Amino acid sequence: MTLTKQEFLISSGLRVQTLEFWLEQRWLLPTEAASGAQFSDADMARARLIRDLKSDLGVNDEGIDVILHLIDQLHGVRQAFALMRNALDDD
Amino acid sequence: MDKNPYDVLGVSSSASAAEIQKAYRKLAKKLHPDLNPGDKAAEEKFKEAAGAYDLLGDADKRKRFDNGEIDATGAERPQHHFYRDYADAGDSHAYTSGAGFADFMDSDDAFADLLRRGQRARANRRGEDLHYRLPIAFVESISGATKRITLPDGGALEVKIPPGLVDGQILRLKGQGAPGAGKGGPGDALIEVEVMPDRRFTRDGDNILLEVPISLTEAVLGGQIRVPTPTGDVTMAVPKGSNTGTTLRLRGKGAPRRGGSAGDELVKLTIVLPKSPDPELEAFVENWAKGKEFDPREGTL
Repeated sequence: MTLTKQEFLISSGLRVQTLEFWLEQRWLLPTEAASGAQFSDADMARARLIRDLKSDLGVNDEGIDVILHLIDQLHGVRQAFALMRNALDDD
Repeated sequence: MDKNPYDVLGVSSSASAAEIQKAYRKLAKKLHPDLNPGDKAAEEKFKEAAGAYDLLGDADKRKRFDNGEIDATGAERPQHHFYRDYADAGDSHAYTSGAGFADFMDSDDAFADLLRRGQRARANRRGEDLHYRLPIAFVESISGATKRITLPDGGALEVKIPPGLVDGQILRLKGQGAPGAGKGGPGDALIEVEVMPDRRFTRDGDNILLEVPISLTEAVLGGQIRVPTPTGDVTMAVPKGSNTGTTLRLRGKGAPRRGGSAGDELVKLTIVLPKSPDPELEAFVENWAKGKEFDPREGTL
């Protein structure tokens, strides 16, 4: 399911300025369509993660940047592992 | 949540708001599922801690809990998926980074090769093979045919049955399977052909077996009879003195082989007497002295 920016704001409860800042920081990368930005379920879950990091864990903006970068690499490695497992299964 | 939220966070009931927040943060940093993508158990523990914090981190709710007005049940956070669930399902292409292992892929060993292969396979994944079953007539399996399969989506597949196909053989139609991703190309359609039994013919390797009834006259005196083959009727000579069980060979009338030759059709004769008794035949056999001397069971029983 995809959401427009307006729907995403309502659904996430984020303020407009907050979302604009997150987009500016490229913490969220919605798909750009002719009708405007399209937010996926993965974008919503990522927004919840950023909110948890900021409000619950007390991480500041610089920290968010570092954490997201490391998490994205961690998922890259996890996917590489999954692909290797598939490649080994196929042989 | 049945556990006492103070126990869950590991604080005393007289803890200050700052102490509660500090205790929760300490737990959450360790337990947040998105910071532990491979740890399935972290999720339950995190939910417990988050639920406890929702209750005790809010001064008003905490007071009501302390006064016994509300209990800890229902303090869990509503169910939602964590980011790791989408990342693991491959729904995070825009974010996922290979920077954490790019150096491994530059090397020239089997490990790097596997990584590169995996990445290629992902980007250009071939479509799935689709399986179908196709029943055909025996005759079609010998002489070949063109059949159509109607697909679930309303489309159709044209299947050329090669001559000489055997029951259970699988035909592969390249590129007629499910579409692939990127440059992966579509999968294949795999068609398992089921040859329906025929009431006349049976198959033995490349040969076709057939039983043909003949009359007593044809057996004794020989003659020309017409017999069916998968490619149409042919005339065949029954030699004089043929018997039940005599097998005649029609060369090249069997199943086609690779390379252009073909098996044979083996015609097994069965003598059949007229349906109603015939006085003339009975009189002849009665007076046929040699017929009484012949014992077909001699030496066999």
